[in-house]
Amino acid sequence: MTPTRSRGHRVFQVINAVILTGVVIVTLYPFVNIIARSFSDERYILSGQVNLVPRGFNLTTYRIVISDPMFWTNYANTVVYTVVATAIAMTLTTCYAYVLSKKHLKGRTVLIWVAIFTMIFSGGLIPQYVLVNGLGLTNSIWAIVLPNAISVFNLLVMKTFFENLPSELEEAAAIDGLNTYGILARIVLPLSKAVIATMVLFYAVSFWNSWFTAFLYLNEAELFPVTIYLRNLIAGATGAESAGAITAEVSQAAANIQSVAITLTVLPILAVYPFVQRYFVSGVMLGAVKG
Amino acid sequence: MRELSRRQAIIGLGAITLAVAGCGEGETPKKAADMSGNKAGSMAGYGLNQQFKATEPISFDVLYNNHSFYPLKNDWLFWQELTKRTNVTLKPVAVPLSDYEKKRGLLVGSGQAPLIIPKTYHPQEEAFVASGAILPVSDYLDLMPNFKDQVAKWRLEPALDTLRQADGRFYLLPGLHEEIWVDYTLAVRTDIMEKLGLETPKTWDDLYTVLKAMKAEYPDLYPMTDRWGVPTPGGNLLKLVAQAYGAKGGWEYQHATWDPALGKFAYTGAMPQYKQMIEYLHKLVKEKLLDPESFTQQDEQAKQKFNSGKSFVISTNAQSLINDYRPTLSKLNPDAKIAKIPVPLGPVGEYKIGPQTENGIMISKKALENKNFVAMMQFIDWLWYSPEGAEFAKWGVQGTTYTKDGSGTYKLADDIDFVGLNPGAPKHLQKDFGFSNGVFAYGGSTELLNSTFSEEELEFQNVMNARKPWPVEPPHPFNEEEREQVTLWETPLKDYVTQQTLKFILGERDLSEWDAYVKELEGKNMTSYLNLVNTAYERFKKEHG
Repeated sequence: MTPTRSRGHRVFQVINAVILTGVVIVTLYPFVNIIARSFSDERYILSGQVNLVPRGFNLTTYRIVISDPMFWTNYANTVVYTVVATAIAMTLTTCYAYVLSKKHLKGRTVLIWVAIFTMIFSGGLIPQYVLVNGLGLTNSIWAIVLPNAISVFNLLVMKTFFENLPSELEEAAAIDGLNTYGILARIVLPLSKAVIATMVLFYAVSFWNSWFTAFLYLNEAELFPVTIYLRNLIAGATGAESAGAITAEVSQAAANIQSVAITLTVLPILAVYPFVQRYFVSGVMLGAVKG
Repeated sequence: MRELSRRQAIIGLGAITLAVAGCGEGETPKKAADMSGNKAGSMAGYGLNQQFKATEPISFDVLYNNHSFYPLKNDWLFWQELTKRTNVTLKPVAVPLSDYEKKRGLLVGSGQAPLIIPKTYHPQEEAFVASGAILPVSDYLDLMPNFKDQVAKWRLEPALDTLRQADGRFYLLPGLHEEIWVDYTLAVRTDIMEKLGLETPKTWDDLYTVLKAMKAEYPDLYPMTDRWGVPTPGGNLLKLVAQAYGAKGGWEYQHATWDPALGKFAYTGAMPQYKQMIEYLHKLVKEKLLDPESFTQQDEQAKQKFNSGKSFVISTNAQSLINDYRPTLSKLNPDAKIAKIPVPLGPVGEYKIGPQTENGIMISKKALENKNFVAMMQFIDWLWYSPEGAEFAKWGVQGTTYTKDGSGTYKLADDIDFVGLNPGAPKHLQKDFGFSNGVFAYGGSTELLNSTFSEEELEFQNVMNARKPWPVEPPHPFNEEEREQVTLWETPLKDYVTQQTLKFILGERDLSEWDAYVKELEGKNMTSYLNLVNTAYERFKKEHG
């Protein structure tokens, strides 16, 4: 807080603040609106009167969703899938990226292209399904956590990060008697908290939100992640096929099932953000810019 | 014994392979194969009015469309009773309804599909015909006495013909209705009508008069706004008005329409009847009787306008009337009353127009290799097509879930609810018992269909059923080469017709340019398209007519 700030700087600050506030409003409004709708009475939702504050406070839809045991089964599945898949993905990505970051490695270019090749070409849906089914992975957690375990984008970011660590540190560690694994575990990884936190977040969010692989490879409702449960709930509420009268409860649910579903799935992963945010901001930049 | 039956199976298989290989030539053998190796568990004398019961316990995989309103439960009375009655255990492969079609395509494409694949809407099955993954079921109808009986009794031959492919067979066992079932129409605010002393409109011209009178009383409003405009503009409205003039529009738009006077197909979007439909709707828009946003707005917006009293007429079906409009409307305005009106009539006269078949079942071709194939076809015939099977799938077990008195009136058990028949009852027919399940219960006799309708819906149905059924068009299945060509023409043609139809209706293009518009369609291969359709029609008539 030095008093010698130029006029121009102050003007910049003001304009900056105004523009960024605008951006915040634009991104925040739909979100707050969704939360408001999820707590509102159908009467106000259907006549388009809900903006930022819930009107006619109503918890019916929450009660319907939460009282279904299948919701909790599937929610637990999502947590398990996310944790296991992230752990596997992190282990594989870290190892692969660390190897690729060593410039003296023979065949390094080939290994890099093996990874990049999968980024550009894929076998297509049906061959992939036949493969996973042929390996006997369908209807198990492995169908979710093994295919796509390495995201090539994340791999490349991590590789760049490792390349930028000073090699002198590793040499010193080697002289002090650490083998390769020791160097990775006791020198490199502790120095890489930023990129690791970032990658964990990237992976966790993508596994948390994913539904398509689960939809492809799982055939039993007990195994589904909560994303499929909610997706199906929304489809059923908007396109139910049984003609006839429905209760007030169901019509309330039809009015705001989407917003309730969104709120319920987004909140937990949203709650993780503040804790990793400080790594997150520096982490994304680190791999790319620093050096 | 076991050795023998295995050998029989191999011989049977060989015969099938030969028959299948022969099919590619365009030859249509009536009997596709010798069934002696596929008869395990089947009933020798299975026929009409007979309970199917497999002679040994057997089981089949079935693709199951899992509805979120009544999620699949393995302890449903439906499964237990089904096995008790038929000795068949169904093993459902559950797929969430939100993405049923995607998964079905994947499973069929990868060869992992269950034998029985229900909930398929024509022409979805056509995508799988070329790959040879699904069975030409029309070759095996001799195994299905109830299906054949309903087709004959309810005169469904012409409707089945429209399912046939160029080889003369069809690949989908459709749901069969005794009569055309009309559900979609318009809903009107009857309290406003009463207040203005208006009669229920019988024709589209009557509707125009009614809208005019409403406009005179409420000059700031559009008396009609419409929904079901996305992704097909005017999905329901264009469909209904086009029908009244003898064309096809909206959801039902097809490029070719049968012209009985000429004995050949005409191009729908260039027909004089299609023009009349446009003229009528243009009149409504021009005089501000119909909200011009009707063709582009989301359903949600249309519902909001109608429910908040900003308009008085909107498209509906039985379910929307009760679910989408009435509850909200009555909360916002206790005096509001709405009703379905019988579909307004036009120059073609008192017809009810619509399909008599609906979604149905595909069978995986690999079922032919199954030793229980014959039993499976008999089972499908019983469950989906026999009156007893349909009643069981819809109402459940007599004395447990429902009772039926001497006059044939069904009554749900007191502690069970379904479509509001016993509001507040602790159990639900679909959720807790698995009956009236969209996968197993559809089609059937009018009596059965009507058995769950409310009084007001029955009234609507009675009016509609008094009308004559609209004759089914003759089939014109393309061969593979034609289909490829036609696909290239269809999309640009359809896009252009849709776009120009809207421009004419909304007044962005003057109707005096109609002839120019028809010329522009020519430039998009309308005539070549029509020639192909008529060639296909002539060929099919000659070969299979």
